[in-house]
Amino acid sequence: MEAAVNNQLVSIEKPEIVAPPDWEPVIIGILCNWCSYAGSDLTGTSRIQYPPNIRIIRVPCSSRVDPWFLIKSLQTTADGVLVSGCHPGDCHYISGNYYARRRFLVTKKLLNFVGFHENRVQFSWVSAAEGPKFAKVVAKVTEDIKKLGPLHLYKKENFEK
Amino acid sequence: MDYTNQIREIASKLFAEGKIDVFVGYRMTGFDENQVPALIRDPNEVSKLVFTDKSVFNLTNYLKQDHTRNKRIGMVVKGCDSRALNLLLTESQVKRENLHIVGIPCKGVVDENGNKMQNCIECIFPNPVVFDEMVDGTPTGSEAPPYQVNTDIQNIAAMDLVERRAYFEEVFESCIRCNACRHSCPMCYCAKCCIDQETSTLYHGANTTSSAFHALMTWSLHLAGRCVDCRNCEKACPSHLPLHLLHKWNEQVIYENFQEHLAGVHEGDRGAFYKYSMKDPDDFIM
Repeated sequence: MEAAVNNQLVSIEKPEIVAPPDWEPVIIGILCNWCSYAGSDLTGTSRIQYPPNIRIIRVPCSSRVDPWFLIKSLQTTADGVLVSGCHPGDCHYISGNYYARRRFLVTKKLLNFVGFHENRVQFSWVSAAEGPKFAKVVAKVTEDIKKLGPLHLYKKENFEK
Repeated sequence: MDYTNQIREIASKLFAEGKIDVFVGYRMTGFDENQVPALIRDPNEVSKLVFTDKSVFNLTNYLKQDHTRNKRIGMVVKGCDSRALNLLLTESQVKRENLHIVGIPCKGVVDENGNKMQNCIECIFPNPVVFDEMVDGTPTGSEAPPYQVNTDIQNIAAMDLVERRAYFEEVFESCIRCNACRHSCPMCYCAKCCIDQETSTLYHGANTTSSAFHALMTWSLHLAGRCVDCRNCEKACPSHLPLHLLHKWNEQVIYENFQEHLAGVHEGDRGAFYKYSMKDPDDFIM
Protein backbone atom coordinates (compact mmCIF):
# COMPACT_ATOMS: atom_id res chain seq x y z
CA MET A 1 0.00 0.00 0.00
CA GLU A 2 1.51 3.31 -1.05
CA ALA A 3 0.13 6.59 0.18
CA ALA A 4 0.10 8.64 -2.99
CA VAL A 5 -2.24 11.33 -4.31
CA ASN A 6 -1.69 12.68 -7.87
CA ASN A 7 1.63 10.82 -7.99
CA GLN A 8 2.84 12.72 -4.93
CA LEU A 9 3.89 10.89 -1.80
CA VAL A 10 1.65 11.86 1.14
CA SER A 11 1.54 10.92 4.80
CA ILE A 12 -0.72 7.90 5.14
CA GLU A 13 -2.26 9.10 8.39
CA LYS A 14 -2.80 12.65 7.09
CA PRO A 15 -3.30 12.60 3.31
CA GLU A 16 -3.28 16.41 3.20
CA ILE A 17 0.44 16.44 4.03
CA VAL A 18 2.64 16.02 0.95
CA ALA A 19 6.20 14.80 1.30
CA PRO A 20 8.92 17.10 -0.09
CA PRO A 21 10.58 15.64 -3.20
CA ASP A 22 13.87 14.99 -1.43
CA TRP A 23 12.23 13.53 1.70
CA GLU A 24 14.07 10.68 3.39
CA PRO A 25 12.61 8.93 6.44
CA VAL A 26 14.31 9.05 9.82
CA ILE A 27 14.21 5.72 11.59
CA ILE A 28 15.23 5.24 15.20
CA GLY A 29 16.77 1.81 15.76
CA ILE A 30 16.80 0.60 19.35
CA LEU A 31 19.12 -2.39 19.51
CA CYS A 32 20.01 -4.73 22.34
CA ASN A 33 23.67 -4.70 23.30
CA TRP A 34 24.28 -8.43 23.17
CA CYS A 35 22.74 -9.54 19.87
CA SER A 36 21.38 -6.89 17.55
CA TYR A 37 23.98 -4.22 18.25
CA ALA A 38 26.74 -6.80 17.69
CA GLY A 39 24.83 -7.94 14.60
CA SER A 40 24.78 -4.41 13.22
CA ASP A 41 28.49 -4.17 13.98
CA LEU A 42 29.04 -7.35 11.98
CA THR A 43 27.06 -5.88 9.10
CA GLY A 44 29.45 -2.93 9.07
CA THR A 45 32.65 -4.96 9.42
CA SER A 46 31.42 -7.32 6.69
CA ARG A 47 31.04 -4.24 4.42
CA ILE A 48 27.36 -4.97 3.79
CA GLN A 49 25.44 -1.89 2.66
CA TYR A 50 22.27 -0.87 4.43
CA PRO A 51 20.18 2.31 4.19
CA PRO A 52 21.64 5.22 6.18
CA ASN A 53 18.16 6.29 7.40
CA ILE A 54 18.52 4.40 10.67
CA ARG A 55 19.88 6.08 13.83
CA ILE A 56 20.97 3.48 16.30
CA ILE A 57 20.53 3.61 20.07
CA ARG A 58 22.08 0.86 22.15
CA VAL A 59 20.20 -0.55 25.14
CA PRO A 60 21.28 -3.32 27.54
CA CYS A 61 18.40 -5.63 26.62
CA SER A 62 15.22 -5.47 24.56
CA SER A 63 13.26 -5.53 27.81
CA ARG A 64 14.94 -2.22 28.68
CA VAL A 65 12.74 -0.69 25.96
CA ASP A 66 9.91 1.04 27.73
CA PRO A 67 6.92 1.79 25.46
CA TRP A 68 7.75 5.35 26.44
CA PHE A 69 10.88 5.25 24.23
CA LEU A 70 8.77 4.56 21.17
CA ILE A 71 6.33 7.32 22.03
CA LYS A 72 9.15 9.79 22.62
CA SER A 73 10.79 8.83 19.32
CA LEU A 74 7.58 9.24 17.33
CA GLN A 75 6.96 12.56 19.05
CA THR A 76 10.30 14.02 18.00
CA THR A 77 12.24 13.18 14.85
CA ALA A 78 11.25 9.66 13.91
CA ASP A 79 9.08 8.61 10.99
CA GLY A 80 9.40 5.06 12.21
CA VAL A 81 11.01 2.96 14.92
CA LEU A 82 12.77 -0.39 14.75
CA VAL A 83 13.35 -2.34 17.94
CA SER A 84 15.59 -5.36 17.75
CA GLY A 85 16.76 -7.89 20.28
CA CYS A 86 18.03 -11.43 20.74
CA HIS A 87 16.10 -14.40 19.42
CA PRO A 88 13.75 -16.01 21.95
CA GLY A 89 15.82 -18.31 24.13
CA ASP A 90 19.07 -16.41 23.44
CA CYS A 91 18.59 -13.52 25.86
CA HIS A 92 21.75 -12.61 27.77
CA TYR A 93 19.52 -12.11 30.81
CA ILE A 94 17.68 -15.43 30.26
CA SER A 95 14.15 -14.12 29.78
CA GLY A 96 14.27 -10.37 29.03
CA ASN A 97 13.06 -10.68 25.46
CA TYR A 98 10.04 -12.76 26.48
CA TYR A 99 8.84 -9.93 28.70
CA ALA A 100 9.66 -7.44 25.95
CA ARG A 101 7.68 -9.40 23.36
CA ARG A 102 4.44 -8.91 25.29
CA ARG A 103 5.05 -5.21 25.72
CA PHE A 104 5.92 -4.76 22.04
CA LEU A 105 2.66 -6.32 20.91
CA VAL A 106 0.53 -4.16 23.21
CA THR A 107 2.47 -1.01 22.25
CA LYS A 108 2.16 -1.72 18.54
CA LYS A 109 -1.57 -2.40 18.79
CA LEU A 110 -2.23 0.71 20.90
CA LEU A 111 -0.30 2.97 18.52
CA ASN A 112 -2.27 1.49 15.64
CA PHE A 113 -5.49 2.03 17.59
CA VAL A 114 -4.87 5.76 18.02
CA GLY A 115 -4.06 6.23 14.36
CA PHE A 116 -0.47 5.27 13.53
CA HIS A 117 0.03 2.88 10.63
CA GLU A 118 1.07 -0.52 11.94
CA ASN A 119 4.37 -0.39 10.03
CA ARG A 120 5.53 2.75 11.87
CA VAL A 121 6.89 0.61 14.68
CA GLN A 122 8.52 -2.68 13.80
CA PHE A 123 10.32 -5.35 15.73
CA SER A 124 12.91 -7.95 14.83
CA TRP A 125 15.11 -10.60 16.36
CA VAL A 126 18.68 -10.35 15.06
CA SER A 127 21.52 -12.36 16.56
CA ALA A 128 25.18 -11.30 16.70
CA ALA A 129 25.95 -13.65 13.80
CA GLU A 130 23.22 -12.33 11.50
CA GLY A 131 24.92 -9.39 9.78
CA PRO A 132 23.18 -9.97 6.43
CA LYS A 133 19.81 -10.33 8.17
CA PHE A 134 20.28 -6.97 9.90
CA ALA A 135 20.93 -5.31 6.52
CA LYS A 136 17.78 -6.93 5.13
CA VAL A 137 15.69 -5.87 8.12
CA VAL A 138 16.83 -2.25 7.88
CA ALA A 139 16.22 -2.24 4.13
CA LYS A 140 12.72 -3.61 4.60
CA VAL A 141 11.82 -1.16 7.39
CA THR A 142 13.15 1.78 5.37
CA GLU A 143 11.22 0.67 2.31
CA ASP A 144 8.02 0.22 4.34
CA ILE A 145 8.30 3.66 5.89
CA LYS A 146 9.15 5.34 2.59
CA LYS A 147 5.78 4.09 1.34
CA LEU A 148 3.95 5.52 4.37
CA GLY A 149 5.26 9.04 3.86
CA PRO A 150 6.38 11.48 6.55
CA LEU A 151 4.91 11.20 10.03
CA HIS A 152 3.12 14.38 11.07
CA LEU A 153 1.29 13.28 14.17
CA TYR A 154 1.74 14.80 17.62
CA LYS A 155 5.15 16.20 16.70
CA LYS A 156 6.62 18.66 19.17
CA GLU A 157 6.35 22.22 17.96
CA ASN A 158 9.55 23.90 16.84
CA PHE A 159 11.40 20.64 17.01
CA GLU A 160 14.09 20.72 14.38
CA LYS A 161 15.23 17.55 12.72
CA MET B 1 -28.18 -0.32 47.47
CA ASP B 2 -28.02 1.51 50.80
CA TYR B 3 -25.53 0.29 53.41
CA THR B 4 -25.25 3.53 55.36
CA ASN B 5 -26.35 2.09 58.72
CA GLN B 6 -24.19 -1.01 58.50
CA ILE B 7 -21.11 1.06 57.63
CA ARG B 8 -21.69 3.49 60.51
CA GLU B 9 -22.05 0.54 62.91
CA ILE B 10 -18.88 -1.13 61.65
CA ALA B 11 -16.91 2.13 61.82
CA SER B 12 -18.04 2.86 65.41
CA LYS B 13 -17.18 -0.69 66.40
CA LEU B 14 -13.69 -0.43 64.89
CA PHE B 15 -13.02 2.89 66.62
CA ALA B 16 -14.32 1.49 69.93
CA GLU B 17 -12.07 -1.55 69.65
CA GLY B 18 -9.13 0.73 68.80
CA LYS B 19 -8.37 -1.16 65.62
CA ILE B 20 -8.09 1.85 63.31
CA ASP B 21 -6.80 5.42 63.23
CA VAL B 22 -8.68 6.54 60.11
CA PHE B 23 -11.85 5.31 58.47
CA VAL B 24 -12.12 6.06 54.77
CA GLY B 25 -15.67 6.13 53.41
CA TYR B 26 -18.09 8.45 51.69
CA ARG B 27 -20.03 11.51 52.90
CA MET B 28 -22.56 13.80 51.27
CA THR B 29 -21.13 16.90 49.62
CA GLY B 30 -23.54 18.99 51.73
CA PHE B 31 -24.90 21.01 48.81
CA ASP B 32 -26.22 18.39 46.37
CA GLU B 33 -27.10 14.71 46.12
CA ASN B 34 -23.57 13.59 45.21
CA GLN B 35 -20.98 12.08 47.51
CA VAL B 36 -17.33 12.72 48.15
CA PRO B 37 -14.69 10.68 49.97
CA ALA B 38 -14.49 11.21 53.73
CA LEU B 39 -11.53 10.53 56.01
CA ILE B 40 -12.98 10.08 59.49
CA ARG B 41 -10.54 10.31 62.43
CA ASP B 42 -12.95 11.20 65.21
CA PRO B 43 -15.39 8.46 66.39
CA ASN B 44 -18.03 11.18 66.91
CA GLU B 45 -18.04 11.98 63.21
CA VAL B 46 -19.01 8.46 62.16
CA SER B 47 -22.56 9.69 61.52
CA LYS B 48 -21.23 11.57 58.48
CA LEU B 49 -20.63 8.29 56.65
CA VAL B 50 -23.04 7.18 53.95
CA PHE B 51 -23.11 4.53 51.27
CA THR B 52 -25.60 4.47 48.41
CA ASP B 53 -25.36 3.87 44.68
CA LYS B 54 -23.87 7.38 44.35
CA SER B 55 -20.68 6.26 46.12
CA VAL B 56 -18.70 6.24 42.91
CA PHE B 57 -15.08 6.96 43.81
CA ASN B 58 -12.42 4.35 44.28
CA LEU B 59 -11.15 4.99 47.80
CA THR B 60 -7.99 2.90 47.51
CA ASN B 61 -6.47 6.02 45.98
CA TYR B 62 -6.15 7.36 49.56
CA LEU B 63 -3.85 4.52 50.63
CA LYS B 64 -0.89 5.95 48.75
CA GLN B 65 -0.99 9.37 50.33
CA ASP B 66 1.28 10.54 53.11
CA HIS B 67 -1.44 11.17 55.65
CA THR B 68 -2.72 7.59 55.40
CA ARG B 69 0.53 5.76 54.76
CA ASN B 70 1.59 3.69 57.80
CA LYS B 71 -1.67 4.45 59.61
CA ARG B 72 -4.20 1.79 60.56
CA ILE B 73 -7.02 2.26 58.12
CA GLY B 74 -10.58 1.05 57.85
CA MET B 75 -11.84 1.28 54.30
CA VAL B 76 -14.99 0.67 52.30
CA VAL B 77 -14.36 -1.23 49.05
CA LYS B 78 -16.55 -2.29 46.17
CA GLY B 79 -15.61 -5.06 43.73
CA CYS B 80 -13.39 -2.96 41.44
CA ASP B 81 -11.81 -1.11 44.38
CA SER B 82 -10.87 -4.41 46.00
CA ARG B 83 -9.05 -5.47 42.86
CA ALA B 84 -7.03 -2.24 43.00
CA LEU B 85 -6.35 -2.96 46.66
CA ASN B 86 -5.24 -6.47 45.82
CA LEU B 87 -2.75 -5.13 43.27
CA LEU B 88 -1.45 -2.54 45.74
CA LEU B 89 -0.93 -5.34 48.28
CA THR B 90 0.81 -7.49 45.68
CA GLU B 91 3.06 -4.60 44.68
CA SER B 92 3.95 -3.97 48.36
CA GLN B 93 2.47 -0.49 48.43
CA VAL B 94 0.32 -1.09 51.52
CA LYS B 95 0.63 -3.35 54.53
CA ARG B 96 -2.18 -5.84 54.95
CA GLU B 97 -1.91 -5.76 58.75
CA ASN B 98 -2.65 -2.01 58.72
CA LEU B 99 -5.93 -2.46 56.88
CA HIS B 100 -9.40 -3.38 57.94
CA ILE B 101 -11.36 -3.82 54.73
CA VAL B 102 -15.13 -3.50 54.74
CA GLY B 103 -16.49 -5.18 51.62
CA ILE B 104 -19.64 -4.08 49.78
CA PRO B 105 -21.58 -6.56 47.62
CA CYS B 106 -21.87 -3.96 44.88
CA LYS B 107 -24.86 -3.75 42.60
CA GLY B 108 -23.39 -1.01 40.43
CA VAL B 109 -23.04 2.75 40.93
CA VAL B 110 -24.67 5.55 38.97
CA ASP B 111 -23.31 8.67 37.29
CA GLU B 112 -24.46 12.26 37.85
CA ASN B 113 -27.55 11.71 35.70
CA GLY B 114 -28.66 8.63 37.63
CA ASN B 115 -27.74 6.17 34.88
CA LYS B 116 -25.81 3.06 35.78
CA MET B 117 -22.13 3.45 34.89
CA GLN B 118 -20.99 1.56 31.79
CA ASN B 119 -18.23 -0.29 33.64
CA CYS B 120 -20.81 -1.46 36.20
CA ILE B 121 -23.01 -2.86 33.43
CA GLU B 122 -20.00 -4.79 32.13
CA CYS B 123 -18.70 -5.66 35.62
CA ILE B 124 -17.51 -9.23 36.14
CA PHE B 125 -16.50 -9.05 39.80
CA PRO B 126 -19.11 -7.01 41.74
CA ASN B 127 -18.15 -8.73 45.03
CA PRO B 128 -14.83 -7.79 46.67
CA VAL B 129 -12.02 -10.28 46.16
CA VAL B 130 -10.28 -9.22 49.39
CA PHE B 131 -12.05 -8.15 52.60
CA ASP B 132 -12.08 -8.56 56.38
CA GLU B 133 -15.82 -8.31 56.77
CA MET B 134 -18.76 -7.86 54.44
CA VAL B 135 -21.59 -5.48 55.30
CA ASP B 136 -24.20 -7.97 54.16
CA GLY B 137 -22.78 -11.32 55.21
CA THR B 138 -20.46 -13.37 53.03
CA PRO B 139 -21.38 -13.05 49.35
CA THR B 140 -22.72 -16.06 47.54
CA GLY B 141 -19.96 -17.19 45.18
CA SER B 142 -21.48 -16.98 41.73
CA GLU B 143 -19.52 -17.95 38.64
CA ALA B 144 -17.94 -14.94 36.91
CA PRO B 145 -19.61 -14.23 33.56
CA PRO B 146 -17.39 -14.45 30.47
CA TYR B 147 -15.26 -11.54 29.29
CA GLN B 148 -17.17 -9.08 27.08
CA VAL B 149 -15.60 -6.96 24.40
CA ASN B 150 -16.47 -3.32 25.01
CA THR B 151 -18.81 -1.93 22.34
CA ASP B 152 -17.07 1.49 22.18
CA ILE B 153 -13.85 -0.31 21.32
CA GLN B 154 -15.52 -2.29 18.56
CA ASN B 155 -16.94 0.88 17.01
CA ILE B 156 -13.58 2.64 16.97
CA ALA B 157 -11.61 -0.38 15.81
CA ALA B 158 -14.01 -0.66 12.88
CA MET B 159 -13.04 2.84 11.62
CA ASP B 160 -10.29 3.18 9.06
CA LEU B 161 -6.87 4.58 9.93
CA VAL B 162 -7.51 8.20 8.96
CA GLU B 163 -10.82 8.31 10.86
CA ARG B 164 -9.24 6.82 13.97
CA ARG B 165 -6.37 9.30 13.72
CA ALA B 166 -8.84 12.18 13.44
CA TYR B 167 -10.92 10.88 16.36
CA PHE B 168 -7.96 10.53 18.71
CA GLU B 169 -6.43 13.80 17.59
CA GLU B 170 -9.57 15.51 18.90
CA VAL B 171 -9.28 13.57 22.14
CA PHE B 172 -5.66 14.55 22.70
CA GLU B 173 -6.34 18.15 21.64
CA SER B 174 -8.98 18.62 24.32
CA CYS B 175 -6.70 17.37 27.11
CA ILE B 176 -5.62 20.23 29.38
CA ARG B 177 -2.76 18.27 31.02
CA CYS B 178 -4.11 18.75 34.53
CA ASN B 179 -2.91 15.19 35.32
CA ALA B 180 -6.12 14.53 37.27
CA CYS B 181 -6.34 11.10 35.58
CA ARG B 182 -2.97 10.14 36.98
CA HIS B 183 -3.60 11.56 40.44
CA SER B 184 -6.98 9.85 40.70
CA CYS B 185 -5.63 6.51 39.50
CA PRO B 186 -5.15 4.08 42.40
CA MET B 187 -2.49 2.22 40.45
CA CYS B 188 -0.28 5.30 39.87
CA TYR B 189 1.89 5.71 42.95
CA CYS B 190 5.39 6.58 41.69
CA ALA B 191 6.85 9.49 43.66
CA LYS B 192 8.27 10.91 40.43
CA CYS B 193 6.38 10.26 37.22
CA CYS B 194 8.11 10.02 33.86
CA ILE B 195 5.33 11.91 32.09
CA ASP B 196 6.16 15.02 34.11
CA GLN B 197 9.34 15.59 32.19
CA GLU B 198 7.27 17.03 29.36
CA THR B 199 6.21 19.89 31.60
CA SER B 200 9.50 20.25 33.39
CA THR B 201 11.13 22.74 31.06
CA LEU B 202 10.08 25.94 29.40
CA TYR B 203 11.26 24.53 26.12
CA HIS B 204 8.81 21.69 25.87
CA GLY B 205 5.79 23.73 26.86
CA ALA B 206 3.05 22.55 29.14
CA ASN B 207 -0.15 22.06 27.25
CA THR B 208 0.23 20.93 23.69
CA THR B 209 -1.44 18.12 21.79
CA SER B 210 1.96 16.51 21.57
CA SER B 211 2.50 16.51 25.32
CA ALA B 212 -1.03 15.23 25.91
CA PHE B 213 -0.39 12.39 23.47
CA HIS B 214 2.87 11.61 25.22
CA ALA B 215 1.33 11.70 28.68
CA LEU B 216 -1.84 9.73 28.01
CA MET B 217 -0.17 7.07 25.87
CA THR B 218 2.69 6.55 28.31
CA TRP B 219 0.29 6.49 31.22
CA SER B 220 -2.03 3.95 29.62
CA LEU B 221 0.85 1.70 28.57
CA HIS B 222 2.31 1.79 32.07
CA LEU B 223 -1.14 0.71 33.31
CA ALA B 224 -1.63 -2.00 30.71
CA GLY B 225 -2.40 -5.26 32.47
CA ARG B 226 -2.86 -3.39 35.77
CA CYS B 227 -5.95 -1.28 35.11
CA VAL B 228 -8.90 -2.48 37.19
CA ASP B 229 -11.49 -0.50 35.19
CA CYS B 230 -12.76 1.57 38.15
CA ARG B 231 -12.88 4.64 35.85
CA ASN B 232 -11.71 7.04 38.53
CA CYS B 233 -9.77 8.73 35.72
CA GLU B 234 -12.89 9.42 33.68
CA LYS B 235 -14.80 10.66 36.71
CA ALA B 236 -11.91 13.04 37.50
CA CYS B 237 -11.33 14.30 33.95
CA PRO B 238 -12.52 17.92 33.58
CA SER B 239 -12.60 17.57 29.78
CA HIS B 240 -14.57 14.30 29.89
CA LEU B 241 -12.05 12.49 27.73
CA PRO B 242 -12.95 8.86 26.87
CA LEU B 243 -9.91 7.54 28.72
CA HIS B 244 -11.43 4.10 29.11
CA LEU B 245 -10.90 3.53 25.37
CA LEU B 246 -7.14 3.28 25.81
CA HIS B 247 -7.36 1.03 28.86
CA LYS B 248 -10.08 -1.24 27.50
CA TRP B 249 -8.22 -1.60 24.23
CA ASN B 250 -5.07 -2.70 26.06
CA GLU B 251 -7.15 -5.04 28.18
CA GLN B 252 -8.68 -6.56 25.07
CA VAL B 253 -5.31 -7.00 23.32
CA ILE B 254 -3.90 -8.65 26.44
CA TYR B 255 -6.93 -10.90 26.76
CA GLU B 256 -6.93 -11.98 23.11
CA ASN B 257 -3.20 -12.57 22.82
CA PHE B 258 -2.06 -13.73 26.24
CA GLN B 259 -5.35 -15.09 27.64
CA GLU B 260 -4.83 -12.83 30.65
CA HIS B 261 -7.37 -10.37 31.86
CA LEU B 262 -8.74 -8.64 34.90
CA ALA B 263 -5.90 -7.34 36.99
CA GLY B 264 -5.92 -7.86 40.73
CA VAL B 265 -8.36 -10.75 40.94
CA HIS B 266 -5.83 -13.20 42.35
CA GLU B 267 -3.51 -12.30 45.19
CA GLY B 268 0.11 -12.37 44.07
CA ASP B 269 -0.79 -11.88 40.39
CA ARG B 270 1.13 -8.82 39.19
CA GLY B 271 -0.47 -8.57 35.77
CA ALA B 272 0.32 -9.59 32.22
CA PHE B 273 3.60 -7.70 31.86
CA TYR B 274 5.26 -9.40 34.81
CA LYS B 275 5.17 -12.87 33.28
CA TYR B 276 5.56 -14.51 29.90
CA SER B 277 4.74 -17.64 28.01
CA MET B 278 6.63 -19.48 25.29
CA LYS B 279 3.40 -19.44 23.30
CA ASP B 280 3.08 -15.65 23.15
CA PRO B 281 2.44 -14.43 19.59
CA ASP B 282 5.64 -13.90 17.64
CA ASP B 283 4.35 -13.41 14.10
CA PHE B 284 4.60 -9.59 14.18
CA ILE B 285 8.37 -9.77 14.78
CA MET B 286 10.73 -10.08 11.82
